[in-house]
Amino acid sequence: MTELLIRNACVIDPINDICGEIMDIAVRDGKIVESVGSGAEVIDAGGSLTMPGGIDAHTHVCGTKVNFGRYMSPEDMRAGRTARRGHMHATSGYSVPTTYGTSYRYSAMGYTTALEGAMAPLEARHTHEEFAYTPLQDMMANTLFDGNWPVMQAIHDGDIKRVAAIVGWTLSAVKGFAIKLTNPGGTEAWGWGKDVSSIRDVVPHFEVTPAEIIRAMIEANEMLNLPHSVHLHCNCLGKPGNYETTLETFDLVPNTNDKRQSLYATHVQFHAYGGSSWRDICSRSEEICRAINQKPQIVMDMGQVMFGKTTTMTADGPMEFNLYRLYHNKWSNHDVELETGSGIIPVYYNRKNLVNSIMWAIGLELALLTDNPWQCILATDNPNGAPFVKYPEIIALLMSKRYRNGVFQTVHPDTEHNVPLAALDRELTWKEIAIMTRAAPAKALGIVDIGKGHLGEGADADIAIYPLNINEIDPAKAPEEVIRAFGQTDYTIKRGRVVCCRGTCMVDGENTTIWVNPRISENHSMDHDPEFARNFDKNYTIRMRNYPVQEEYLQRNLCIETEARL
Amino acid sequence: MKVTLEVRPRRKPHLPIEAEKIVPRTFFEETDGLSVFRGNKELALEEIFSVAIEGEAASVDGVEITILGDSSRIKRVGEYMDGGRIHVMGDIGMHCGNFMSAGEIVIDGNADAWLGREMRGGTIRCHGSAGDFCAAGYRGEKRGMRGGTVEVFGDAGDFTAETLAGGTVIVHGNAGDLAGVDMKDGVLTIMGDTSMACANMSGGRAYVHGTVYDMIPTFRNIGRETVGGDVFTRFAGDIANRGKGTLFIRNYKYMD
Repeated sequence: MTELLIRNACVIDPINDICGEIMDIAVRDGKIVESVGSGAEVIDAGGSLTMPGGIDAHTHVCGTKVNFGRYMSPEDMRAGRTARRGHMHATSGYSVPTTYGTSYRYSAMGYTTALEGAMAPLEARHTHEEFAYTPLQDMMANTLFDGNWPVMQAIHDGDIKRVAAIVGWTLSAVKGFAIKLTNPGGTEAWGWGKDVSSIRDVVPHFEVTPAEIIRAMIEANEMLNLPHSVHLHCNCLGKPGNYETTLETFDLVPNTNDKRQSLYATHVQFHAYGGSSWRDICSRSEEICRAINQKPQIVMDMGQVMFGKTTTMTADGPMEFNLYRLYHNKWSNHDVELETGSGIIPVYYNRKNLVNSIMWAIGLELALLTDNPWQCILATDNPNGAPFVKYPEIIALLMSKRYRNGVFQTVHPDTEHNVPLAALDRELTWKEIAIMTRAAPAKALGIVDIGKGHLGEGADADIAIYPLNINEIDPAKAPEEVIRAFGQTDYTIKRGRVVCCRGTCMVDGENTTIWVNPRISENHSMDHDPEFARNFDKNYTIRMRNYPVQEEYLQRNLCIETEARL
Repeated sequence: MKVTLEVRPRRKPHLPIEAEKIVPRTFFEETDGLSVFRGNKELALEEIFSVAIEGEAASVDGVEITILGDSSRIKRVGEYMDGGRIHVMGDIGMHCGNFMSAGEIVIDGNADAWLGREMRGGTIRCHGSAGDFCAAGYRGEKRGMRGGTVEVFGDAGDFTAETLAGGTVIVHGNAGDLAGVDMKDGVLTIMGDTSMACANMSGGRAYVHGTVYDMIPTFRNIGRETVGGDVFTRFAGDIANRGKGTLFIRNYKYMD
């Protein structure tokens, strides 16, 4: 039995409605408890800001495409090198660091849980192998279903139960966590050199539209009772005028679940552009946020862009091809048979570039115009908008109008004619930041019940103590203090152990992979479905029996069993 | 200030030594407690070199380092050099003059690979031959050498002046395969032969006074032109990369 007592913590825990109370937190065997004995190890927080461990609800840190980003950017490996020290392995890389680099840097910022944004089911083993070497964060994997042949076939046949059964079988086979749709239908079309330009376009060879895919998947998701909702990267990413597609997509979403949203729209900044070309691109964040404010069934994340060098990586192959034609630099293009694809391009977001400046502004506007912070999560779609190490700067931009104005002075001078940012006076509070970085992600991902994102009794003891006294510092006036404090915790505590102290990781660590296993009745199960097996024999390069990820790939793991209505 | 470093005889002379500390600025600022690495072992400078320092310097440019003995495995000499002079009496190891921005390096013998990698300014003269990736860029980097001069009096290896983006590179002998590949800017001159010159070039000028073997077919032949009394064939390209580069060649031979 190990016990820990954190004294004099200034706690913000939105899920339990605690905001800035000075209190003690007792921990026994990795869980938060009512009280501990006198022999417990004591940490004196001295009134510092204490919150549940951070949760990144959408990030790309593990898997084949991340690794290919490493392959193709040896120059990125020159940045951010650190030597081996104590429990810490040597690390390298800036926008696509080594797995240890990712893990240590997240931990130093107080993050204890992360969702890998896109895992191709066929390549799931690689993702799980990298999870094992990201030791200081509990990991989950969004599983890609945007161009899944059997799924699209079932949607075409109008058989939603079959869609749910295939999704359920695949999620449990590849140890995935949730349904991810990346440019639904578009990535499959890209396999034939095409793309879809709206949610009403028909996907070649399958006679289904993105709208049908999205609607069917939302229904199947609820049938399977999954903890998270459908996680959607909308069609037409990065195209001027795409906000209309985004709004049309939002209109498809029914309000079907009273515990959480029915759709998670990711990196919405990339989907909120007006105009008709790169010349007249402008922000449509007001329209997007008006829709979000009226639709509690949708939660989004910002997809904030920050200036500097980074790498874009997504399953949205056609979009990356368009980027390649803009940058004319190196480009990776990849097809995952019968399932999805991907593309990778290194980019530089330049503050002197008007389009980049507008992108930067839109992300902030989304956060500032969304009334309910539970509906807008802080993320950069790491590393697409910016590496996650920029989160502290984003927090400061959201909390300080003065800091925002200062940066606004340095961007392209025409930006103000194209975005409403300068007119927004809202400054987010500590509580709102706590919601956007831990409570809302936990709620949106449906992991509050397994003890994430809050500090109530029975919760996992994932705690971040930041070197900051919220009663003494006015974030609007001292943004640099905010950046410093959120950049490095005094203590990051994971499962009741101090894993990172002032930037130095103290343990080798061992994370938990969280995955779902929907229980499906025998007569709907894909295990003995002849047509499903025939698809493997006929089209895949792998047999059905070899497809599921073996138990050996999972180390410590937590399986969420759900009862499917099938 | 004159610094003389003589490599001591080593029991295993092939083991490379990482000696990025050997730049004029280090000696200008502090002469004590300098170290080099052999693998992961940190060694005092004196363990590898016998060190003699005479006089004082008023600025970095007043520091002259002379390296004697078998220095063919001493790596990264002159890395980030920003002034002064280094004279290598024999051969020098890999990565000599990495990222240097000013000053002069003279090598009497041969240089190993990556001589003057991503150089920003200054001068490197190598009286022997240089290895592969002479005056090239780092792997994955779009722009390599951006300024200064590299002059090799012997031959240079493969990928000479790869991703050259500024400055001047002169090879008096032959260059290996793919000299000037991915060139963006700057001037490359090869007095001898090379092969597949300037593939994927997008800017800058290159002169080959000898023969280019396996000439890249995606260069457009502009015609004859006389430069400095010699008659060259002028090419524009590489049109496979919307290239705006210019290539002057005395003789060329396409692949059979």
